[in-house]
Amino acid sequence: MNTKPNILLVDDDELYLYLMQKTIHQISKELVVSTFTDGEQAVEYITKCTEEKVELPEVIFLDINMPFLDGWGFLNEFKKLKPKIINNINIYMVSSSMRDSDVKRASNFEELTGYVVKPVNKVQLAEIFKKIYHENW
Amino acid sequence: MWKRVLRMFIGLYVPLFVLTLFLYYSQKAKQIENITERQIRANTLKKISFEEKCHSFLRNTHYWASLKYPKNFDPLVEHSSFLRSYLEFIEDVTFYDQFRFIDLEGKEFFRAERVGTDSIVISALQNKNYHPYVKSGLQLKKNQIYLSQISLNKENGKIEKPHKPVIRTVAPIFDAEQNQIGLLVINFKMKKILDQIKSKVEDKNVYLLDEDFRVISSSTIKEDLPYESGNENSTIAGILQTKLISHNRDSTFVENGHIWSQQSINLNRATFTFGSKSNLPTEIVTPSNWLLALEIPQKLVKAELQPVFESLLTFNIISIISLLTLCYIFQKNRIEKELFYKELESKNILLTRSKDQLEENNVMVNEMNNSLEIRNKQLSDFNYLISHNLRSPVTSMSVIVEMIQKEKNPEALHQLLPKLDQVAKSITNLTEDINDYVAILDTKEIKIVDIDLKELILEVKNEFTETLLDNTGFEVQLNLEAWDHISYSKFYLQSIVHNIISNAIKYKRDNVSSYIQFESVIENMQRVLYVRDNGIGLNLERHGENVFKLYKRFHRNISGKGMGLFLVKSQLEALNATITIDSKIGVGTTFKLIF
Repeated sequence: MNTKPNILLVDDDELYLYLMQKTIHQISKELVVSTFTDGEQAVEYITKCTEEKVELPEVIFLDINMPFLDGWGFLNEFKKLKPKIINNINIYMVSSSMRDSDVKRASNFEELTGYVVKPVNKVQLAEIFKKIYHENW
Repeated sequence: MWKRVLRMFIGLYVPLFVLTLFLYYSQKAKQIENITERQIRANTLKKISFEEKCHSFLRNTHYWASLKYPKNFDPLVEHSSFLRSYLEFIEDVTFYDQFRFIDLEGKEFFRAERVGTDSIVISALQNKNYHPYVKSGLQLKKNQIYLSQISLNKENGKIEKPHKPVIRTVAPIFDAEQNQIGLLVINFKMKKILDQIKSKVEDKNVYLLDEDFRVISSSTIKEDLPYESGNENSTIAGILQTKLISHNRDSTFVENGHIWSQQSINLNRATFTFGSKSNLPTEIVTPSNWLLALEIPQKLVKAELQPVFESLLTFNIISIISLLTLCYIFQKNRIEKELFYKELESKNILLTRSKDQLEENNVMVNEMNNSLEIRNKQLSDFNYLISHNLRSPVTSMSVIVEMIQKEKNPEALHQLLPKLDQVAKSITNLTEDINDYVAILDTKEIKIVDIDLKELILEVKNEFTETLLDNTGFEVQLNLEAWDHISYSKFYLQSIVHNIISNAIKYKRDNVSSYIQFESVIENMQRVLYVRDNGIGLNLERHGENVFKLYKRFHRNISGKGMGLFLVKSQLEALNATITIDSKIGVGTTFKLIF
């Protein structure tokens, strides 16, 4: 926890994590990426951050289907933790499908900033970052 | 139907018929009373007329008897002129047949008789002392007149032909000095009188009977005094067949449909006065009393009653016809109504039946719907599995390929290429899992057999080394009293039991003697199998919705693909069974399988 990560990737697909890291790196070498392979680990990390009063990453890309704790589960836990979180966090739901039931369910979570469909390409990512950091990459 | 019509008709007609009968009989009684009255009147008239005739004879006789005859009366010679004028008078009175004087010894001393119709001649004398009328006549006192029986005239002991019914009057005669000189005997012709008596009144039969009920004259027999000429059927027993004798002499009665009216004519000891009232009354002496009977034959009575009978018959026929028609129409309507109701009822039954059928169909449709829903869910899951789980490696691959194309740095390429291999491996794994799942979805291949659950569980139990060796502290308990046989796919059930036992072993708690318990019960008419373990349990609040989903794992430090319970659920749902879970961390997990 020496360097504060800017972006949190939560996905059980390790290949996806690798590729996302690579893409983000291509956009900006300044952004620090941290990854977790399931929701439970991510919740543990955020809990730890709130306990230590450390700032959280600005963006979280959250996969829906994951073992141990899936995207929805994570969001439920995140809701509980939110009052303790100091800074603004943008959470993007990332899914390989645009299933209606998922999209509808996602819209019920006000913690969510957006819903992104895999594969997330460089242009999409750049736009998301631009919105958040108000910078041109 | 006709039976009912008839029953109703009888119910209506019988009282009417009884009423008609009553009417008929009362009318009949009235009619008979009328007839009887008329009959009595007619009879009385006849009686009076007969008596009048007798009296007329008696008065004639009295006249002759009251003459003062000369002394030593010799009518034939000395006093022939005395008689002449009288005889001339008699000549014109046609009912005089014989006019005789008989002396006190019973011998005729004057005899005049009618020859032809209008001449009286003096004829030869006869001795008549043996005749009863002579004997009775000789005992007569002054002022007594004898009236004889009516009989056929006999001459010299033989019945005169043609038959001549006569009645005789006998009276003593006296001379001027009041000495009896003999008897006066007059034969009166009865033919006309009898004819008049037996002349029919309104076709009624008339009978004149003597004291002994012998027929003197009758409208039914041509000859008079038939018994004298030897006609055997001349007594009332012979021709009338009535109990006339047993009745009062003056009576009217109905017998076998005949109406009888009888009146007796009693002249014996009766008296009458002749001429002025100062004359002494004359007494009649007669051996015979007569009986005058009038008979109305059955057919006449019937004829009298015919109009009443006919009108009542007509009334009855009309009422029979109208009542029958009424009953018929009424019953027909009723039957039609009944038929209508019956039809309604049967339609109702049909409707109820079709309603039941519909409900049954509905239940079936519901069941089908349920299984379709489950199937739909499975297909949707399958779809999701394909679209999601297969898409992610594929998209990853496309990204890698794109990167490889753009990458010029050979070292970076070296890093990227093994990633492709990783993608291929994950696709292969996924395809294998999908195959397993598709096999379950395709239920056509499933063979349903009767399974002994206990046997099956024990069989599966032996596949695990943990349960084979007793010292590992894992026990499989069975409580299959409620049911232990079921029709199911043996392969599926083995798989289900295997997965559940496998999980129970995998997630057992340390430091306790672990067990898994199978309990069969019947709940709501359904077979239910409870599977309980005392394992580490699961946080259902967190994972509840994902328990039976593919690739869901809830325990980081225990290996697993996240397929077991997904397959269990699929295999149960493929055969319309369901599974639910109840679990508590640190206590254990209970699965409820409803077949």
